[in-house]
Amino acid sequence: MKIAVCIKRVPDSETRVKIASDGKSIDEAGVKFILNPYDEFAVEEALRRKEKAGAGEVVVIALGPAAAQETIRTALAMGADRGVLLQADRIPADGLQAATALAAELKAGGYDLILFGKMAIDDYNHQVGPMVAELLDLPCVTTVAHLEIENGKGTAEREIEGGVEVVEFPLPAVLTTDKGLNEPRYPALKGIMAAKKKPLDAKPTTIAAGGLDVLALMPPPERQAGKIVGEGAAAVAELVRLLREEAKVL
Amino acid sequence: MSGERFVPAQYQPPLPLDRLILKSGAAGAGDRMDLDVLIVGAGPAGLACAIELAQLAKRDNSDLNIGVLEKAEALGEHSLSGAVVNPRAFRELFPDVPAAELPFRGPVKHERVCLLTSRATIPLPTPPTMRNAGNYIASLCEVVRWLGARAEALGVNLFTGFPAASLIVDGQRVAGVRTAATGLDRDGRPLANYMAPNDLVAGVTVLAEGTRGTLSQAWTQWQNVGAANPQIYALGVKEIWETKRPLDTIVHTLGWPLPTDAFGGSFMYPLEPNLLALGLVVGLDYRDARLDVHALLQRMKQHPLFRQYLEGGEMVEWGAKTIPEGGYYSVPARRSGEGVVILGDSAGLVDVPSLKGIHYAMQSGMFAARTIFQALKANDPSAERLADYDRLVNESFIMKDLYRTRNMRLAFKDGFYVGGVKAAVMTATGGRIPGVKIAVESDAEVERRVTPGESPAITPDGKLTFSKVDGVFKAGNATRDTIPVHLTVGKDVPADVAEFYAHMCPAGVYEVVQGTLRINAPNCVDCKATDVLGPRWTPREGGSGPKYKRM
Amino acid sequence: MSRVLAVLEQRDGALRKVSHEVVTGARRLADAFGNSTVDALVMAAGAARGADAVGGFGADKVITLTNAAFGSYAPEGYARAIVDRVKAGGYDAVVFAASATGKDLAPRVAARLGRPLAQEVTDVAVEGGAVIAIRPVYAGKALLKIKIAGSPAVLSLRPNVFTPVQRPKAGTAETASVDGSAGRVVVKQIKAAPAGTLDVAEAPIVVSGGRGLKEPANFKVLEELAAAFGGRAAVGASRAVVDAGWRPHADQVGQTGKTVSPTLYVAVGVSGAIQHLAGMRTSKVIVAINKDKDAPIFKVADYGIVGDLFEVVPKLTEEIKKLHG
Repeated sequence: MKIAVCIKRVPDSETRVKIASDGKSIDEAGVKFILNPYDEFAVEEALRRKEKAGAGEVVVIALGPAAAQETIRTALAMGADRGVLLQADRIPADGLQAATALAAELKAGGYDLILFGKMAIDDYNHQVGPMVAELLDLPCVTTVAHLEIENGKGTAEREIEGGVEVVEFPLPAVLTTDKGLNEPRYPALKGIMAAKKKPLDAKPTTIAAGGLDVLALMPPPERQAGKIVGEGAAAVAELVRLLREEAKVL
Repeated sequence: MSGERFVPAQYQPPLPLDRLILKSGAAGAGDRMDLDVLIVGAGPAGLACAIELAQLAKRDNSDLNIGVLEKAEALGEHSLSGAVVNPRAFRELFPDVPAAELPFRGPVKHERVCLLTSRATIPLPTPPTMRNAGNYIASLCEVVRWLGARAEALGVNLFTGFPAASLIVDGQRVAGVRTAATGLDRDGRPLANYMAPNDLVAGVTVLAEGTRGTLSQAWTQWQNVGAANPQIYALGVKEIWETKRPLDTIVHTLGWPLPTDAFGGSFMYPLEPNLLALGLVVGLDYRDARLDVHALLQRMKQHPLFRQYLEGGEMVEWGAKTIPEGGYYSVPARRSGEGVVILGDSAGLVDVPSLKGIHYAMQSGMFAARTIFQALKANDPSAERLADYDRLVNESFIMKDLYRTRNMRLAFKDGFYVGGVKAAVMTATGGRIPGVKIAVESDAEVERRVTPGESPAITPDGKLTFSKVDGVFKAGNATRDTIPVHLTVGKDVPADVAEFYAHMCPAGVYEVVQGTLRINAPNCVDCKATDVLGPRWTPREGGSGPKYKRM
Repeated sequence: MSRVLAVLEQRDGALRKVSHEVVTGARRLADAFGNSTVDALVMAAGAARGADAVGGFGADKVITLTNAAFGSYAPEGYARAIVDRVKAGGYDAVVFAASATGKDLAPRVAARLGRPLAQEVTDVAVEGGAVIAIRPVYAGKALLKIKIAGSPAVLSLRPNVFTPVQRPKAGTAETASVDGSAGRVVVKQIKAAPAGTLDVAEAPIVVSGGRGLKEPANFKVLEELAAAFGGRAAVGASRAVVDAGWRPHADQVGQTGKTVSPTLYVAVGVSGAIQHLAGMRTSKVIVAINKDKDAPIFKVADYGIVGDLFEVVPKLTEEIKKLHG
C-alpha cells in the first residue's frame, strides 16, 4: 500500500502565546515545536495499514521551513520510509495556498491513501486535507475516528453532534484523522537511529499568491472578574440566563 | 505533636539495588543496541563528554558510535541552575567559537551581596569566593540545547525520552544500562502503547545523571566506593519572572527568611533587563521539620528588595532541584571503575561558596572523553585505564578549587553566625584554618524537631506568591496521571514525618490527609530532595516530569 | 448590492437549530456590506421542516435544493450543488456553520471555487468592501484577524456565538430539484453515540465533583446534570475523589499540569485548593457551586453559587433540561 501522510510542525500545546513584534504571528523565541498531535494518528494509521498489507511505502510530506526536517525525522523514527520537505520560509495562513503546494507534490505519487490530521493545533484551520482532495479530485472523509478498508473500499466512522456518521468511500482517497482512531506508537530507540539514514528530500517551494491576509494576531479579551450570582437554588435561574446571554455557552 | 524529634533516616528505605543493578542477560528487555560509548544524561557534563569524544574521533579519522540517553522528552527540559557560568570549559571545548556565539545571556556587569532582615537590606562586601567578574549569566536549558545541537551535528546519537533505569553488569564490570519501560498503568500493567525496556550495551558507560544520580549511587554502593564525608545537599526552588522594572546586577542574599540554624541564601539574576531568574537555596540539614523551601521563597518575594522588581510582573516558570554541597570531602574516592566513569554533579563536583558546577561538569566530561578515547583505542576499557580520568580531575583546577573551600560549607553546620565567622577565617587563610576535615553526617541522619505554633505556610495571592500546585503547573509538568508510582516509601510513616515530607517537597507530591501520607507522584519534578530525606526516587517513564524552557 | 448565501443544515428532514445562527451571522455580514440580501440554502430529499421559519432570522429567501440522494449529508453532491448556485448567483460571501458537517463541507466548496476559507469565525465585519473575520487560534489563547480579498468570501461560523436574533420580516421560499448523484462518499447511517464515552479531556462541557459530594453514590447528581446537556457533557472528578476510589482514573480532571479546556466547566463541591485548579483554569467559562463562600474556587470561577450542592445541582439540571427540551 502506498500511503502519503501530510504533517505539520507546530508549537507545543503548552506554549505561552506571545505576540511577535510584527503583530501578526507568535514570537518563536524559546518555543518548543512538535509534530502536530492529530498528525500522529495519521502517521500511525499509515504505518498500521502498510504493516497489514505486508508491503508498501509510507511517505511523509511537510510544508514549512528548514526546521521542519526535524518534524519529518520524528515521523521517520516512528517508521515512515521517506520524507519530503516542501521548503518555504513560512507556512501560509491561507489553507488553500498550503493545499495547492501539497497537491502539486502529491499528484503524481500514485497513492492509495493520503492522510492528514484533522486540524493543526496552532491555526485550527481544519481545511487543508479536504482542499487537497478537491484539487486532486479524490474522495475525502474528514475527522475519521474508526476505519476499515477492504478490497479497495473503505468504511469510516466520524463523530457528529449527537451521533456517529458511518461513511463509505472508494480508494484512492484522502482522509483526515481524529483522536480515537488509534494509539500512536512511541519512536523506538532503533527507529530513532534508523531515521537519520532514511531519505529526506528538501525541495524549495514557492507559495502562490492567495486571497487571505493576516491583519493581526491579538490576545483574547481579558477575563472579567468572576461574580457570585447568588445563594442556593434560587440563584440557578439567573445563572442559566447569564450562561446563555452573557457567556454564550448554552 | 510539638516538641517531638525524629531522624528521617529511620523511615527511609534503602536504594533498591536489586532493581538498579541487573546481571547481563537478565530477561525483560525488548531491543538491544550496541554502542562504543554510552552516556547517561544530556546535561552539560554528558554533552561535553560526547562532543569531545566525537571531536577526538573525527581528528583521528575513526568512527565512534556514541549514544546519549536523556530522561526528559526534549533537551534541557530537566535542566535547572541559577546560573552564572565560568566560561573556561567552553573556551577549551570550542576554541574557534567567538564569545558572542556562546550560549550565554550576557556578562556579569554588576554584583551585590546583601544580608536581609525581614524589612531591611544590608549591603555586604562581596566575599572573594563569590566574585563573578569574567563570568556570564546563562540559562542552563539554553546551554544544554546549544550543546546538544553541536553534539548532533558531530554525529552523536541523542535519545531523549529514554531514562536509564538500571545498570547492566557483567561480573564487576558495567556493561551498559537498561532503559525504563513506557506505557504502564498505575498497577504496573501494560497499556496499548506499552514499550518494553531497551538494553544499551557499551564498552564504557558514562554516568552524568546530575544531582543525586540514582545509578551513580547504586554503583558506588555496590562497589563500596567511599568518601571522607557522605554527600550532603541543598534544595533550590527557582522562578523566572517577566518584570516591569529592569534589573542590571546579579544579587546574592544571606539571612532572612532563613532561620539561623539553616544554611543557604538567595540569588537573583537578570537574563534580560526585564526577565529575571530568582531562587532560594537551603541546605537539607535544616532542623525545623516544618521548614518549607517553596513557602520561604514565596515569603522572601514579599521583601522590598525583590518586591520592587516583581510587582506588576508575571511568573513565567517555576522549578526545583537539589545541589550536592559536600564539596571536596564528599567526592567519592574514585569516580571510575570497570567500564564506567562518573561525571559532574553525580560525582559531587560543585563548589558551593562560589556557586559553581557547570564548568566543572563540562571539564570532567572532557577529561573523561580523553581517557575513554585512549582506552578504546587501546582496546582496554579497564578500571586501570579509566582511572586516568580520576588523575586528570585530581590534578586539575577542579580539585584545586574544591580543596581551597573544602570546609567552608561544612563550617555552617554550626549555624549562620558561627559559620560565618569560620568561613571568614577560612577565606583569609586560604583554607589552612582549620586544616583538618570537618566531619558531617548525611542529611537524613540529622535530627529534626517538630516546633509548636503556626504553620510557616502563607496564603498565596496568585500574583506575587503562588501555591506548589501553581508552581508545578508553571514547570510545564505534564506527567501522565496514571503512571506507576516511582517513589519507594518506608513502612509505617508516622504523621509528623509525613508532614515533614509534605513541607520538604516543593512540588506537593506529599500530602497528609487524615493523618496518613498521600502521594501525588505525577507532581514530581525530579528535584531529588525526596531521595535525600525521604522516599527514594527511581527512574520512571521517559518524558515524565517538568518541561523547563529557560531555567 | 451585495449578496450573501447562508448554507443551512438539515437532519432527517428537519432543519438543525444551528441554521438559525448561520442566518443570523449571514445577516450580520450582509448588514456590514450594506444594502445586501441574504439567501438561505438547504439541501434535502424533499421539503425541510423549519425552512419557512428561517426568514424570521434574516433570510430574504430560502432555497431548498432537492435530490433523492440528498436526504443524508452527501459531501460531493452538496458541494457541487452549492458551487453551481454560488456561481450562478454571483454571491459575495458564502456562510456555513462550523459544525461537524459544516467544517467538512466548507473546505470542499472553497477549494472548488478557488477561494480561501475562514473556518470557525467568531466575528465578521466589512472594510473597504473586503470581509474581515476574527477567529480563535492556539486553543483560544489568541485571536486572528484576517482579511479576505476577492469574491466570494467563504466562512464558517463557530456555534454558540452568533446568537439567533428574531426579526418580524418573513422571507420568500423557493424549491428546485437538482440533478446528479450523492457522489463517491456516501453516508450509510447515523449511529447513536456510545453512551458515556465522552472523554473528559475533550468534552465541550465538563461537570466535575470533589470531596464535597461526600460519598460516591452522590455522583449520580452530577451524572444527571451531565445528561441534561444532551451528550455534550462529561463527568469529571478531582484527584482526591479518584484517589479515594470513588471514580475511575479516566474521569480525573486537571492533575499536575494537564490543560483541560472545555467551553463550560462546572465545579461542584470542589474547593479549588487542590491540584484540580491548575489544569482547568483555561476553561472558557467556569461555574463554581460550593457551600463555602471563601472556597478558593470562587476566585477562579466566572460565576458562582454559594449553597448546598444537593439543592442547587438538581435545580440546575431541571433548568438545563428545559433549555434543551
